[in-house]
Amino acid sequence: MSQFVLNLIHRPELVPEYIDTDAQEGQSEQLSKKEVVGESLDIFRLQQQIAHDNGLTTTIQMTYPSLFNDEACTLAKQHHDEFGDEIGHTFLGLNSKEFREKYGLKDPAIWLYTMEHKRLIVDDSFERFREVFGFYPTSTGSYFMDAELVRYIKEKYPGVKIAVATCFEEGPKVFRHANYSWYTIMDGSPWTAWVPSKHNIHAIAENDDDDIGIVAVPHLSRDLVAIMDNAGDMFGTHPQNIIRGLINHDDRLPYMYNLIDQYRVLADQNRGYSYNLVYVGPGWMGKAGRWETPYRVLKKSYEDFLAYYGELKRAGALVDMTMTEFADWFRATQPRSGPCVALWKDVLYGTKNQAFWYADSAFRVQIDLKMGGAITDLRPYASKLERPTGAGTAANQDASYPFIVQSRYRAGPFVHYAGEGAIKSAKVRFGGEEIDLSSCRTLGRVSERGETRVLTIKPVEVEFASVTATIGTEYAFEPNTGEIRITRRIVACTDPSAQLELDEFMTACWGTTEYPEDMTGCGLRVRGRNGGEHTIEYAYVCREASVDDVEVVEATFPMVQTRVSLVPETPTCRGYYEEGYSFAPNLKIGVSKALRVGEELVTCLRVEQG
Amino acid sequence: MPQGRTGLINYRCPECLFHQVDYDLLHDRAIDQYYCRRCNWEGDEKAILSKYAVYKTKYADALKRWTVDAIRAKDEADWPEPAA
Repeated sequence: MSQFVLNLIHRPELVPEYIDTDAQEGQSEQLSKKEVVGESLDIFRLQQQIAHDNGLTTTIQMTYPSLFNDEACTLAKQHHDEFGDEIGHTFLGLNSKEFREKYGLKDPAIWLYTMEHKRLIVDDSFERFREVFGFYPTSTGSYFMDAELVRYIKEKYPGVKIAVATCFEEGPKVFRHANYSWYTIMDGSPWTAWVPSKHNIHAIAENDDDDIGIVAVPHLSRDLVAIMDNAGDMFGTHPQNIIRGLINHDDRLPYMYNLIDQYRVLADQNRGYSYNLVYVGPGWMGKAGRWETPYRVLKKSYEDFLAYYGELKRAGALVDMTMTEFADWFRATQPRSGPCVALWKDVLYGTKNQAFWYADSAFRVQIDLKMGGAITDLRPYASKLERPTGAGTAANQDASYPFIVQSRYRAGPFVHYAGEGAIKSAKVRFGGEEIDLSSCRTLGRVSERGETRVLTIKPVEVEFASVTATIGTEYAFEPNTGEIRITRRIVACTDPSAQLELDEFMTACWGTTEYPEDMTGCGLRVRGRNGGEHTIEYAYVCREASVDDVEVVEATFPMVQTRVSLVPETPTCRGYYEEGYSFAPNLKIGVSKALRVGEELVTCLRVEQG
Repeated sequence: MPQGRTGLINYRCPECLFHQVDYDLLHDRAIDQYYCRRCNWEGDEKAILSKYAVYKTKYADALKRWTVDAIRAKDEADWPEPAA
C-alpha cells in the first residue's frame, strides 16, 4: 500500500527573516517596527489555523527567542493539547535581543559557529526548552546541521530522533540567487529523508556503527529537474519559493500542486513510500507583502497549498505525521541505507526533460536523460568524508559534500576548444567520426530486479556519414555496494558488418563550487589482465597511457578520500587514462571496445573510500 | 537629489532576475523611476512588469495542471515498447 507522508513544520519566529528587513523598509510609513515584530506571532497563529482547518497536524519548532516569549510558549502548549501538534526545537532565528545580550554574537546560523559556541548554544536552548515545557525536544533543525553538531546533540540529549539537517541543493546557485549573501552553501544531500552517517550529515549511514542516531529530513521537497540548473529556492514545497520564481500568475499556482503530485508518483519507485516536507516561517507572509507579491496572494497561496494536502488526507492519499512520529515510522519501515530513487519528469518548462536520482550509503548519483543518460553529478558518500563546518574549520561556510563529477559547474560535454568537462558518458566512433551519447536526448524507466534498481534508457540513434546505429543503455544499481553496472548494446545498425567503437568514459575532478580545486596528487592507474600497468600522480602535464586487455582503470582523489574505477565485464577491452592540464583540470578514465550489432559492453563503475 | 528608497511595491531588478540574482530596486520619487544598484537597469513600473512577463515565458507549463496520472503517463507515448 502506498504511503505519502507529510511533515508540516511552523515556527514562531519573533524576529522574522524577511519582515524585519526589506519589506518593512519600503513601507515604514505604513508599518512600524513594533507592529512588524508583533505581527510575527499573528502570522504563526494564522499558519497554524490554516493547518488545523485542513485537519493537518504540525510540528511547532520553537526558536531561541520564542522560548522567552510567554505568548508563543502558551500557544505551543495549547496547540499540542488541542491538536496533537509536536513541540519541537529549531536553531533558526537565533539572532535576537536575548541571544545578543547573552553571547555578544550575531551569526544566525548554528552550523557556522565554533564547536565551542555550538555546544554552549545547544545546552542553553535545550535547557531553556526543558525549563519552559518540562521535557527535552525530540526534534530539532536548522538550514544545516553538520555531523559534529548532531553527534554532540545525540551525546548530550540522546532523546533527539530527527532533525531538519540540510536544505536540498542550496549550494552555489542559491548563493548567487541571494546576491552572494545567503550562506547556505550545502549541495550534496539526499532529496528525501535519510539516516545520516556519523562522519558527514549529507551521507547516508552504511550500518549500525555508522548511524548518527537521528533521521534527517531536507528543508523542503524540491523539483529534481528545475534545480539542476537553477537555484532551488524557487522550486520547493513552499509557496514563497514558487512565487519567488515568478511561477505564479497572481494567485494561481498550479505548479505547487504539480510538485506535490510528482512526489506522490515517486512512491511507485520506492516500494510505496514517498515524502514531503513543508517548513515555513512567518516572515514571508507579512502584511507588507514579499517583494512584488501582495499579502492577499501570499495568504491565499498558503491556504490553497494546505487545502490540497488536507484534501489528500481526507481521500486517504496522505498521512500527516509530526516529525518525531515520522522518525519512529521511518526507522520501523524503511531500510536505513536506502536506496532512494527518483525519476523526475519536467512539469514546468513544457519539455520532455527527465532526470534520474539515486542515493544510498555509497553515493548520490544524478543522471540527466536530456544528456543521453550521462551521469552529471556524483557525490561519493562511500568516502565518509569528515567535513566540519563553521568558524575555525577548513570548510567554514562551504558545507557541501564534494562531487567528483558535476557537469554544470565543470562544463559537462561542452568546452570551448580545449579539454573536456566533467561528465560520465560514452562515445561512439566510426569511420573517423565520434558522437558523444550526451548529445542524444532520451527518456528513462525505473524497474527492480530483486534488490537491484534499474534505470533503462530509451535507445538512441547515432548517425554517422555512412552508418546509423541504435544504442541501448541500462544502469543497474546494487544498493550499498558502490557499484553501478552499465550495459551499452548496439541494438540496430544499418550495416550489420560495421564495427563501432564504444568508449565508456568518465571525466572527473573534485570540488564543491564552480571554481577548480588543486588536482595535484590525484592518482591514475590502468592495469592489464596480462600484467601491464601504468601509474601517475596528477601534475597537469597531459600524460596518457593505455593497455589492450584492461582489468581495471582507476582514479584516486586523496583530497576527498575517494577511489573510482571502471572494471570491464566484457572480455578484451582497451583501457586508458588521460591526465588533464590547467585549462581543463579534469582527469579521464575509460574502457573501449569495437562492437557489432547485437553485441554489448558491460562495465562496472565502482566508487569506494580510497 | 534625495536617496533612493524601496518602492511601495518592493520590485526586484528584472535584469538581475535573468541572471538568477534577486536584487531589490530602489525608487527615485522625484522622477518616479526605479533603478538597480547592481546592474545598469532603470525604468518605470511598466518596464518592470513587461520584463517579468518575458521572464515567465520560460515556464511553458506554469498554468498547466499535471496530476499523478498525467505525470505517470507523460512521455510514455514517445516510447511505446513496454517496460522490461
